[in-house]
Amino acid sequence: MKSLPPKRSLQFLRWFCREDYLEEIEGDLTEVFEKQFESSPRQAKWNFARSVMKYFRPAFMKSFKNYYQPNSYGMLQNYFKIAWRNLIKKTAYSTINIFGLGLGIACCFLIFVFVQDELSYDSYHEKRDRIYRVIHGIKSTTDSTSAQSFPFWVWGNAPIGPALGNQFPEIEKVVQFSGRADILLSIEDKHYQEDGVFFMDSTAFDVFSWKLIQGDTKTALIAPYSIVLSETTAKKYFGDSDPIGKSLKGSESPGRSNPGDYTVTGVVADLPSNSHFRFNALLSMSTFKKSQPEIFDWWGYVDFYTYFLVNEKFNRAAFEQKIPSFILRAQGDTKSEYAIAIEPLKDVYLRTDAERQPGETGSLSNIYVFSIIGLFILAIAIVNFMNLSTARSMERAKEVGIRKSIGAYRSSLVFQFLGESFIIVFLSMLVAIILVFIAMPSMASFTGKVLSIQQVITWENIPIFFCALFGISIVAGSYPALALSGFAPVSVLKGIAKSNFGGVNLRRALVVFQFSLSIALIAGTIIVYTQMNHLLDKNLGFDKERMLVLDYNYDELVNRKSEALKIEMEANPAILSAAFSRSVPGSHFPNAGTEIQTADGEMKMLGQPIFQVGMDFINHFDLKLVAGRSYSREHPYDSGKSLVINEAAAKQYGYTNPADIIGKKFSQWGREGEVIGVVKDFNYISLHRNIEPLTLPFVPYASRYLSLKVKSTDMTKTIAEVGEIWSKLAPHRPFLYSFLDDDFNRQYQSDFIFRKLFTTFSCLAIFIACLGLLGLATYTAEQRTKEIGIRKVLGAEVHNIVALLSKDFIKLVIVSILISTPLSWYAMNRWLEVFAYRMEIQPWIFMLAGLAALSIAVLTISYQSLKSARMNPVSSLKSE
Amino acid sequence: MKQQSLGEFEELVLLMVAALHDEAYGVAILESLEEKLKKKVNISAVHVALKRIEDKGFVKSRFGGITEDRGGRRKKFYIITAVGKRMLDNQYALRTSIYQQIPKMSFG
Repeated sequence: MKSLPPKRSLQFLRWFCREDYLEEIEGDLTEVFEKQFESSPRQAKWNFARSVMKYFRPAFMKSFKNYYQPNSYGMLQNYFKIAWRNLIKKTAYSTINIFGLGLGIACCFLIFVFVQDELSYDSYHEKRDRIYRVIHGIKSTTDSTSAQSFPFWVWGNAPIGPALGNQFPEIEKVVQFSGRADILLSIEDKHYQEDGVFFMDSTAFDVFSWKLIQGDTKTALIAPYSIVLSETTAKKYFGDSDPIGKSLKGSESPGRSNPGDYTVTGVVADLPSNSHFRFNALLSMSTFKKSQPEIFDWWGYVDFYTYFLVNEKFNRAAFEQKIPSFILRAQGDTKSEYAIAIEPLKDVYLRTDAERQPGETGSLSNIYVFSIIGLFILAIAIVNFMNLSTARSMERAKEVGIRKSIGAYRSSLVFQFLGESFIIVFLSMLVAIILVFIAMPSMASFTGKVLSIQQVITWENIPIFFCALFGISIVAGSYPALALSGFAPVSVLKGIAKSNFGGVNLRRALVVFQFSLSIALIAGTIIVYTQMNHLLDKNLGFDKERMLVLDYNYDELVNRKSEALKIEMEANPAILSAAFSRSVPGSHFPNAGTEIQTADGEMKMLGQPIFQVGMDFINHFDLKLVAGRSYSREHPYDSGKSLVINEAAAKQYGYTNPADIIGKKFSQWGREGEVIGVVKDFNYISLHRNIEPLTLPFVPYASRYLSLKVKSTDMTKTIAEVGEIWSKLAPHRPFLYSFLDDDFNRQYQSDFIFRKLFTTFSCLAIFIACLGLLGLATYTAEQRTKEIGIRKVLGAEVHNIVALLSKDFIKLVIVSILISTPLSWYAMNRWLEVFAYRMEIQPWIFMLAGLAALSIAVLTISYQSLKSARMNPVSSLKSE
Repeated sequence: MKQQSLGEFEELVLLMVAALHDEAYGVAILESLEEKLKKKVNISAVHVALKRIEDKGFVKSRFGGITEDRGGRRKKFYIITAVGKRMLDNQYALRTSIYQQIPKMSFG
């Protein structure tokens, strides 16, 4: 019987044992085994296995590094080595590739952070899916066609809240608040004018997930004159001592609460920056109710925001159906034109059209614009990568040919080139991360957001990071990989058909694509800039330069002294005039219903904003009277029986000629009298909107602002002098001043942010595109070294050569201009639609953009072209 | 010097290679050693020693012809080199000289 040694042991031995020892060892083992097998087979097998194990030691093992390859580890190593050598050998290309792509990814990342922050608003509320708010509107009966599109306000009346809570079992909690109130809070010698204060229902903490650090969520806002401070505010007043139970003296909040001593009942953690409204302090709603109880039953009084929490059974569609009948029941008035709608909390920051928001709102279209710019930049960077890799394909063609002829599959070549792009993208990612770290603070200050790296590096974002890594590698690397691996080895190695390599046409198309995007972005930047300048420079119809505005928040004592203040101020030679008013252009204007006699003698009721002004206001702001007269000290009845309106209001009541409305009867907020004057239209709010009808009633002793027209070269000195007068006459009020033009332009803050971001990212896009062009130009020039040499030997001049090298690229840029002009014209027109006053898009903008792109491109190429053109032909021709 | 050292078992294997002269291969060495030492020795120990003394240059090796035994594997024959012989001579001389210094005494 032929005995065979145990199979497994033998296999194991063959697997690990050095090949030069295996012959002897296996032979000897087998011989021993065979001898033993005759006497005791089991013993022999056991011994064999034991002996094999004894050989399992380093001295007998093969070197797995050199001999053992169950996978393609060695090939991978080779790929890495080749990729690395290529990176090192062509440092310039690699730098352009890695840096350009890194910059692109960094931009994308920053934009991603911005967008994510915008989308994260209010997401910290635990019950966010169940919170809704009421928006209020008046159905316009005159225009029945647009019944659904009448404007809604978030700001509304008080009784709607309790009515909703009582009538709908699916509503768990209603929270109403009022604000932003202005109130002067003081303790001992610390006085601060707080403008981020809300009167808040005691149910607030049941609905919103604000973290109360101290105090009881159930009772904090129940008692009148309770105040809950934010952490920062508490620090401001009380330092490190415990604020609970202490009291703060609060001034009157006009129309809301009487002055009183507020007891601190809680401290709430500072609100996350991604809240659609934020506060410094909350006052209990019962304070408001105690001071003005009648308002809470009054359906026509607008001063409340109403939010509510629903339970799981809530069905939005069914609820909305019940709204009209509910309003009818609650108001008991069939003729009422009042209507409400609801908005879920997730929509209140980005997707709301309602006016009079409690806080800021974001812009969904900005998010789209920035996302698109981010993708553009990434696309440009990826195109650079594709261009440079295909352009260099000729150098790699020989390598591909050799690899293929010694048996490489096409798939493994694709794998190799994809791997190379993966390495480059990975390095770019590292560059991008460094850039993001550097740029994050300036991005945060650009957008005025609190952005931090920590909020981005979360577990959810890590897969996104890797997806991006793989995604970009595949997008950027797939074309070069497919093109390079497709070469036929025979023709590559013979060196024929060279000119067809690397898809020259595709490269051209990609350059055109890049430059079209860049030119569109340049044109966009110019248009954004021109439009913003247009807004800032437009004559608004009133004088906003050198206008100092003092805000004393309707303080009665100050209003009583207004005449004295005016005289004192105007006594200063640096101050041309002083005037009191309840609003200033760019601030808040309440709405009022006004009845004015129409041409056919009827009284007609229409609503419009009112701008309550004091004496001399019209001259002071340099408003032009087009008809009638202004308020005057010579007419003692002016304060009750006269009204000045603007041209738009005259038109609103059907008077095309403003002079005709003079002397007509009016009735407004309990006053009756005659219209005495019409002022020329002026832009009292931002230029996003057209000039609306406006009435300017005379309210001399209940003002909020004192504005001073200053004629002075030394503004600081004048401000100091004004401050002195102020502290002499109104020592109890802090001296708060600002400049009217600054305040007015603050309305364009989000537009400024938009402009800054847009400009920055456009510049980056162009920069990256130029990097690519530089790489491509360098490469082309290198390819044509010999050609240039021969041309020079045959007598070509430097300018001929430069023209030869630049011609191709310039053609491409011109094509790009033709493509991008209509696209950007269309896109920017859409953007301009949000402004009521917009610039005209003129052809010079596109000419300028094209010229800019062209000159940047020429500059980029010319360096390289000149260098090659001036090279000594001897050196280029003799080298092989 | 390193190649001058020789472990106890290595010395035994080297002596056996020298003694078996032209017929010294793994199993032969194993069997002769087992016979002399009167105990079981594992073949792997022999191989370890052989590889070591070969590395140190005391033996040379060559492959024998293919046979049908041993699963078709060839035998590897070892022959002592001049260096190896000198090493054995030195060891022998060293031991003998020390042995002779042992004073005569009786272990009654």
